Amino acid sequence: MKAVGARLPRYDGVEHVTGRTTFVDDVRVPGTLWVKALRSPVHRADVKRLDTSAAESARGVHAVITWQDVPLLEYGHLSGLGIPADEPLLAKDDLRYKGQPIALVAAESEDAAQAAVEAMTLDLDEKEPLLDIRKAFDPDAPVIHQWGNWYPHFEAEMDRRQIRKGDIEKAFADADTIVQGVYRPAAIEHVPIETQVCLVVPEASGRLTIYTCTQALYFSMGVVAAHLELPLNKLKLVGGTVGGGFGGKVDTATETMCALLALKSGRPVKWRWTREEEFLCSSTRAPWHMEIADAVTSDGWILGRKMLTLHDSGAYARFSPYGLTKHSFHHTGAYTIPNLEFDGFVVFTNRVPTTAMRGFGVTSVSFAVETHMSRVAEVLDLDPYEVRLKNANRIGDTSPNGVVYTDPSTVPTIQAIADAMGHELPADYRAMSRHVREGALLPQHLVAQVGNPEAH
Amino acid sequence: MAKQTGRGFAAIEYPTGMNQNGDPSQAWIKVKPDGRIDVFAGTSDIGNGSKTIQSQIVAETIGVPYDWITYDNSNTDSSPVCTGTFASRATFVAGKAAEKAALAVRERILEIAGKELEIDPGDLEIVDGEVVAKGAPQKRISVPDVAAAATWGHGELITGTGAQLKPYAAIVEPETGKVDLPPHSAISYAACAAEVEVDDETGEVRVTRLVQCYDVGKAINPTLVEGQIEGGAIQGLGLGVLENCYPYYPSVDHRGGEFGSYLAPGMEDLPQIDTIIIENPSADGPYGAKGIGEMANNSQPPAIAAAVYDALGVWVTELPITPERVLRALEAKAAGEDAPKREGKKVVFDEALSVNAVSSGGMRFGVPA
Repeated sequence: MKAVGARLPRYDGVEHVTGRTTFVDDVRVPGTLWVKALRSPVHRADVKRLDTSAAESARGVHAVITWQDVPLLEYGHLSGLGIPADEPLLAKDDLRYKGQPIALVAAESEDAAQAAVEAMTLDLDEKEPLLDIRKAFDPDAPVIHQWGNWYPHFEAEMDRRQIRKGDIEKAFADADTIVQGVYRPAAIEHVPIETQVCLVVPEASGRLTIYTCTQALYFSMGVVAAHLELPLNKLKLVGGTVGGGFGGKVDTATETMCALLALKSGRPVKWRWTREEEFLCSSTRAPWHMEIADAVTSDGWILGRKMLTLHDSGAYARFSPYGLTKHSFHHTGAYTIPNLEFDGFVVFTNRVPTTAMRGFGVTSVSFAVETHMSRVAEVLDLDPYEVRLKNANRIGDTSPNGVVYTDPSTVPTIQAIADAMGHELPADYRAMSRHVREGALLPQHLVAQVGNPEAH
Repeated sequence: MAKQTGRGFAAIEYPTGMNQNGDPSQAWIKVKPDGRIDVFAGTSDIGNGSKTIQSQIVAETIGVPYDWITYDNSNTDSSPVCTGTFASRATFVAGKAAEKAALAVRERILEIAGKELEIDPGDLEIVDGEVVAKGAPQKRISVPDVAAAATWGHGELITGTGAQLKPYAAIVEPETGKVDLPPHSAISYAACAAEVEVDDETGEVRVTRLVQCYDVGKAINPTLVEGQIEGGAIQGLGLGVLENCYPYYPSVDHRGGEFGSYLAPGMEDLPQIDTIIIENPSADGPYGAKGIGEMANNSQPPAIAAAVYDALGVWVTELPITPERVLRALEAKAAGEDAPKREGKKVVFDEALSVNAVSSGGMRFGVPA
């Protein structure tokens, strides 16, 4: 029998559909303490005073932690790639978004923990938040981040992610028409059925067993080990079966804090976010602002593209520099455009940090590029399938960053949908393939780039 | 006032694996004394089906039944490194590591079977859990008997490891974005047609049908990949017409903190979904597979936006395409205020949304007329 290619039953399907899978919150350990968080009530403020003494002496409370309890307060999601950290595990001097964790309590019940949180005193000096990424660059905009309002791209020593290819000015001069538009997909929530949850058990051996819903066991282990300044043999992460993630559980949102509380209290601790916390305090997909101007010919060739992208990172960088770079690599979509000028900025605002979500960096640009393609076809009064087939990536074409495509399938997927929808294509479009360009499909503006990564 | 229908189309591409690579996955396998197979990997299964996919790859590669496989990704003491389940990498990168580990195990089984049968291992193959001499199928020994011989006779443990890592692709010219190596493991492609029904009185957009085609390289498990595509379509539908953390973005007002005020798609929103799968194998994915888990929610929003234009003659380019946005667009059209600005050879849409209209001068976008 063949296993690959077979419609075999899901490995853990029966456990899932009969409700017998053990997720993190199904693990119950005697003596477990429960966690609640003091979170920022405002979008932006300086912390004038935080007094947790009433919480520490409250009934049933075994541990309270603030930023002072974290051995390494700042460790970035992209520190492994050499990108500096900007986000404290628990807020220190200033608050950058509503919902930001400031202090945590471990107590004998969730109610006791919540009561202790409410007993804390927090004095703030509230500040004007920055919310519109389009205004972040203005001289009168409040400066809300230690790096300025947009990410400095340390690794590139530039304040933006940039793509330059070909001769953009010539492309726009040669164009018959220039089509320009603005595209703004929204922030959305990951909405996993299982909200963020973690259980940490301090073992007699001195190790910590961390029951986690992370999408990335080893990544999260590295994050915890870095904040706690521990070698990996002190940690055992238990997980691997996640109740929905969609990118939001790459953030290591709870594990380190629970580990600190377990160490401080000497007791197992569990933190399970309410649905309201999941909606309001967990990271979201980023809102993006994209502007595209395409230089096109009247018969539907795209000679060049200028694009500006502003990526709303929220209060901290997290994975956003990675997401913007990926975005820039794919800003021509499934098409070959030889003349490019792309500028992208990761912009900080006073909203919940945005993070990875299914399609990270590219979902946005797919929406922008494809809606723009439909508009180009409409402006030129051409068939939207034909405009796409003409410009489609072919074997031998080069990408925005100089990589030769080896197996693009833009043409066959478009033809398959045309067939399925009964959309008739002219014979020359029907005969197109993904193979190397030639004849009428190799106009002058595409000749130099075929098979040539140096044509840049 | 009536319900208008429209059709729209989009074609997309998406990379497999972390952008710029450098993201390892590893697997190791041991064989029990009765020939059953234990696979250890660090790949979290977030519903994407990676336990199943990697088990299928191991079963196929060794040549044993799927139900002989036990897959353990439960903890970091026994499981080796996996960078994680994101970037559409679990099938391609982690699956490749599992395939490599399984190839090593297969080789060890053949070595020990060769000793038992006194046949060169190169002349043996494994079919359905039996080691068989090529061209002489009467000469055979079962994998359980090989495992027993290894354990009790030869004093050996049959094991194998595998790791997959594509080197980090550096941006060698930050000014141009040029890279020194391909920054992806593979690129997958898809196209989508959407049909919508829009009520021009209430502004409600109902997606009635999504027809989608994906090049998946190789469908390791067609049922699971169809599930990814259909599930992704619903998430894309949510992105297109329903979901929004900040209904009046960039304002943070009216943020929904419960299911009653945050509209994720429900069963009542489901359209008809037709799925077409194409298999153009990738050069080095396991059995030619590519990763399509993420891109499955990328094609629907632009196809829906184009379908709304087809139905009503208005472009809504802020997502989601809510009734309020549809009605405002229809009002603008009725007032003759929706037409793009034409200036020389320029056709400029959405001027009011541009940074040029909002920024006091810190940021500009534009091209000469």
